[in-house]
Amino acid sequence: MGVETGEVRRIELQPIHPPPGSFWRRRVFSTDHKVIARQFLWSGLVFLAIGGLLAMAIRWQWAYPGEAIPLVGRTVLPRSGGVIGPATYTSLFTMHGLIMIFFAITPILIGAFGNFCIPLMIGARDMAFPKLNMLSFWTFLVSQGLIIASFFVPLGPAAAGWTTYPPLSTNAGTPGPGQTLVVLAVFVTGVATIMGSINYVTTVIRFRAPGMTWGRLPLTVWGLWLTAILNVLFVPVLGAGALLLLFDRVLGTSFFLAGAAVPAAGDPVLFQHLFWIFGHPEVYILILPAWGIIGDLLSFFARKPAFWYRGTVIAMCAVTILSAVVYGHHMYQTGMSPLLGVGFEALTLAISVPAIILFLNWLNTIWKGSLRFTTPMLFALGTVFVFGLGGLTGLYLGTFLTDVYLHDTMWVVGHFHLTMAASSFLASFAGIYFWFPKMFGRRMDERLGKVHFWASVVLITLVFSLQLLVGYAGQQRRLWEPYQYTFLQHLYPLNKLTSHLAWALGIGQLVFVWNFFKSVVGGAKAGENPWEVGTLEWSLPSPPPHHNFDVVPLVVRGPHELSGPEVKERLGRDWVGQAEALPEAESAENVPPAAAIIASGA
Amino acid sequence: MRRLCGAAAAVAVSLGVSAWAEPRPEIELGVGLPRDVSKHGWRIDWLINTTNVFVIGLFATMVVWMLWACFRHGKKHVARPDAGGDRKSIMVTLGIAAAIFFVVDGNLFLNSTLDLERIFWAFGEVDSNPRTVKVEVNAHQWAWDLRYAGEDGTFGTRDDIVAQNDLRVPVHTPVSLQLGSTDVIHAFYLPNLRIKQDVVPGTINRMWFEARRTGTYDIGCAQHCGVGHYKMRGRLTVLSKRAFAQWAREGSVLASRAWDEADTEAHWGWAWKPAK
Repeated sequence: MGVETGEVRRIELQPIHPPPGSFWRRRVFSTDHKVIARQFLWSGLVFLAIGGLLAMAIRWQWAYPGEAIPLVGRTVLPRSGGVIGPATYTSLFTMHGLIMIFFAITPILIGAFGNFCIPLMIGARDMAFPKLNMLSFWTFLVSQGLIIASFFVPLGPAAAGWTTYPPLSTNAGTPGPGQTLVVLAVFVTGVATIMGSINYVTTVIRFRAPGMTWGRLPLTVWGLWLTAILNVLFVPVLGAGALLLLFDRVLGTSFFLAGAAVPAAGDPVLFQHLFWIFGHPEVYILILPAWGIIGDLLSFFARKPAFWYRGTVIAMCAVTILSAVVYGHHMYQTGMSPLLGVGFEALTLAISVPAIILFLNWLNTIWKGSLRFTTPMLFALGTVFVFGLGGLTGLYLGTFLTDVYLHDTMWVVGHFHLTMAASSFLASFAGIYFWFPKMFGRRMDERLGKVHFWASVVLITLVFSLQLLVGYAGQQRRLWEPYQYTFLQHLYPLNKLTSHLAWALGIGQLVFVWNFFKSVVGGAKAGENPWEVGTLEWSLPSPPPHHNFDVVPLVVRGPHELSGPEVKERLGRDWVGQAEALPEAESAENVPPAAAIIASGA
Repeated sequence: MRRLCGAAAAVAVSLGVSAWAEPRPEIELGVGLPRDVSKHGWRIDWLINTTNVFVIGLFATMVVWMLWACFRHGKKHVARPDAGGDRKSIMVTLGIAAAIFFVVDGNLFLNSTLDLERIFWAFGEVDSNPRTVKVEVNAHQWAWDLRYAGEDGTFGTRDDIVAQNDLRVPVHTPVSLQLGSTDVIHAFYLPNLRIKQDVVPGTINRMWFEARRTGTYDIGCAQHCGVGHYKMRGRLTVLSKRAFAQWAREGSVLASRAWDEADTEAHWGWAWKPAK
């Protein structure tokens, strides 16, 4: 297998640039994908903490309604003496949702892992458009600044729910600059996402190392690539919705206004179409990278190839396509025509097929392996567990008839937290524990990691399952005081218990914070390949040099060739690099000298 | 004995009367579905319960599979790279996926579609039933305005009964609602009747139900509609047919007397939209 002309051209596209000299160019305004990945990681983690604290405050209101928040209450809410009033409460859940989705999970899963993993795993020296990449991060930072600013304006931040449904989200329902700033922030972060995604899509198509065929791509890259495609296609739709909403708020148009209170002939449901055309792909945007990561990790730590790799890839592609045509199930109760409802229901339920295939492939991957329970593996297994629960509880919501009862209840909240929050969260941690050595050149503490895992997986499952349970009993979402309703009064002890578990979950994350900072500063030095796996990033020093690869590798095999008898026999170990030639192999498997010369840039 | 029963009945009646004076919904117990008092709610409950069985079975299978692999195929087990991935195991995987899909999703889709088409969306049939009680609901921040056509059976006339947050309906009788909103999106939610419908400004949405037990139940708002969303609570009172007829007759007469031409605020409402 030689190097084809197209592949030669790909290598010529990537000359080795010397690393920048100045501090600012190297650390701050860097075009290096590895630096940008770390910038996304830090900014995402900070907002994860903010979003988490907001959640803790929401839980306070459900456990001790009307009582002052202890310790910090008087400082953060001086006017009410620490009590969360109904208006503050609406801001809390709105900002919690928006921050977690757009400003915490998105930068970590897509910004950090996408930037870090894609070039390293496909054997590229950087992204296709490094400057655009830098611009994407700095645009994203502006949007985070807008979010922070919204907390300090009169009338407080956004309060119309993360879904921002008009007319409530227009001046008619939520006046004040806070909501405007937040809608603007969503628009700006959309711009950042589009820039990043164009980069990811192009990089994967054009910058794969010679021999890195589509069938040899690590599943992580598949997940990130499909996510980027969804982002490129659907974030612009959200952008359009946000822009029209901004027009309604600032310029006095009435695209989404209707009703006697605001005499206008707009259409509130039009916004929901725009929002969910983006919003449903968004849940897969957040879960596809997670699927990819756990698909790889389960194989790596089961020391055996991923079961039916091709099936997993096809299933992920099928979900990507289907995700674009099922958004109507979020709008079953809007008064949608029955025929549309049945159509969306059929399409929604069809997603079960690729989802079941994914699960069976993961289960088959760990079956008859030789499982190593490292921290990343534990988090990957935890992701499968919570995603199983989250996926199955979605059946009731995808079905029109059962959704009639469960729509807009805490069942929905529990379901999407199990899928989008718990799964993305656990998979993010799996990824952080796994790639930390490559990112920072040091290892994280395994024992603390395992404490963090058990605390997280047990508590996160309990918190969101109990949310499912109160939803099953009928409790609506977003109630400041659920116990106003007679039919919900008996749920008070359960809600209170959930709150205490949620706080324990929050406190448990301090173990991670401690471990993270401790390891960044003083963790044991990581070797080149601490996990003993074969994907390309692990053939580089930790952390990799500025240009990643001295010689662009020639890939000769798939990402999961573990425990093969031939490899064991010839190398004396159970793994082999994707670009590693086996000793005494047939001549076809050797790196042709010509390729090596071109690759080194000579 | 007979006398004793009579006394018990008298006590029960007087208790019932005192409860009537201060009607409060009953407290629910446990964490299951709230009690169902509708004629057709069991269809939704049946589908939920059946799916519960499937879902618990599937989840348990997955957990056992994972635990088995974790305990039996740990570090000491020699990895079998050839396990699976061949044509046969792929076929088995596809077969399992197809079986789960056709049974679990098929059951959901089939029953959902049939019940919706025949029952929950049968507005034409319900509206053409002469027994059906028709009510217009207008939602606004943060209350439910209700309008009955009154004795003349026509909406927008002076004998319309208008109420707020206090929906009264007869038992064992279809009740057809048309819902509109003045300001933002709300959702009319009757947990004990298993139904819910968004109320969107600029549109008239519809829903219907039939209660099969008298009593008082909560009406909730299920869509975030602003600061007062949590207290947008109404009360549904299911009366005996006779009590409802009496209430409606008296209400209509009182409404005609209280009619005020100048009070335009009270003249919301619309001509009943025929079902398509």
